[in-house]
Amino acid sequence: MRRAGHAALGAMLLATVATHTLSAPLPTAATTATVTHYVLDPAKSSLEFNFSQAGAQNKGRFRRFTTALDFAADQLAASHLEVTVDMTSVDTGDQERDDTLKDADLFGVKKFAQARFAAAQIVKTPGGYEAVGRLTIRDITRDLRVPFTLRTATEQGAGVAYMSGKTSLRRLDFGVGQGDWKATDQVGNDVGVSFALRLTAR
Amino acid sequence: MAIRNTTQRWGALAQLLHWLIVLFIIAQFTLATMFDDLPAGPRKLALLARHKSIGITILMLAAVRLAWRWTNPKPPLPDTLKPYERSLARITHALLYALLFAVPLAGWTMSSARGFPVSWFGFFTLPDLVPKNKALYEMLLTTHGVLAWTLGVVAIVHLLAALKHHFVLKDDVLRRMLPFTAPKAQGSGR
Repeated sequence: MRRAGHAALGAMLLATVATHTLSAPLPTAATTATVTHYVLDPAKSSLEFNFSQAGAQNKGRFRRFTTALDFAADQLAASHLEVTVDMTSVDTGDQERDDTLKDADLFGVKKFAQARFAAAQIVKTPGGYEAVGRLTIRDITRDLRVPFTLRTATEQGAGVAYMSGKTSLRRLDFGVGQGDWKATDQVGNDVGVSFALRLTAR
Repeated sequence: MAIRNTTQRWGALAQLLHWLIVLFIIAQFTLATMFDDLPAGPRKLALLARHKSIGITILMLAAVRLAWRWTNPKPPLPDTLKPYERSLARITHALLYALLFAVPLAGWTMSSARGFPVSWFGFFTLPDLVPKNKALYEMLLTTHGVLAWTLGVVAIVHLLAALKHHFVLKDDVLRRMLPFTAPKAQGSGR
């Protein structure tokens, strides 16, 4: 009985050592082989946002964005995420409002055509993962943690990943709202962002 | 003054509702002319939001008013009126009530068709009455305006009639809708 106990303890210790070795950062050459590189399936992906306008919640989305994800659940240290959003593709379902959003005082798409989120670090959380990165809008960069869930599958022999999550940010942190638009009584400062992406392995 | 109407004069609640709605209608026309000239911006949004909130308030007050009217006695039209004048008064009042509902409802539906939900002073958001529809929005934008101007014209006819009653016919039709005035001592007991 006591011997069996010792043996089990020994096995656990060994296992612990083994996982530690595995999850420790490895040289780049070794890790690139084990993480999977995913690209976006634009037709089956959405990037949406919601905001308050005149006291009511309103929704919008970006029709064009790209995503590059390097991911392996057991290689989080070597996993990263990069999202680039074409700000001219904003679609709130109202042409006049979209044009207003693209103007210099809000997105200013003439000068700042793209927004970018880059996460060099992905960490495990109780509910899934979190991309720890930096978001750039209007050339202003801020730290942002984006929680998400990810499910991988094999569809018709190809690896796919379904990634979804939501976060929130304050538009004025990024200068989205110059001049009169700095006021937050009609258009709220808080903006919710949600995404549901289908990614295919390359 | 009693809360409820009597057969002599309008009660406090009927008067309050009447005059609040008058004030709100004036505010609505003022706001509408103000934001019509503004470019898209937070100021226009603010005025539009106020306009929508007041419009919904008018709709709510109109509902209360109609319910109150149906459950209260009504001071009758003066006996001196000719039959066509009685009809005219009835049509004007019916039209005013109909428009108190129609104008805000057209505005609310128009916002829904545009895809902009209506909030009541930021306290709650009203449900959308119709799904987003650009063509319907354009149609309702015109309808809302036409109905509003119709309301304005009928209200002015109503005002002129009240003034005629007061200054020309010298009866108590206007006075019985005014607070702080005693009904004219005439044929007491009615």
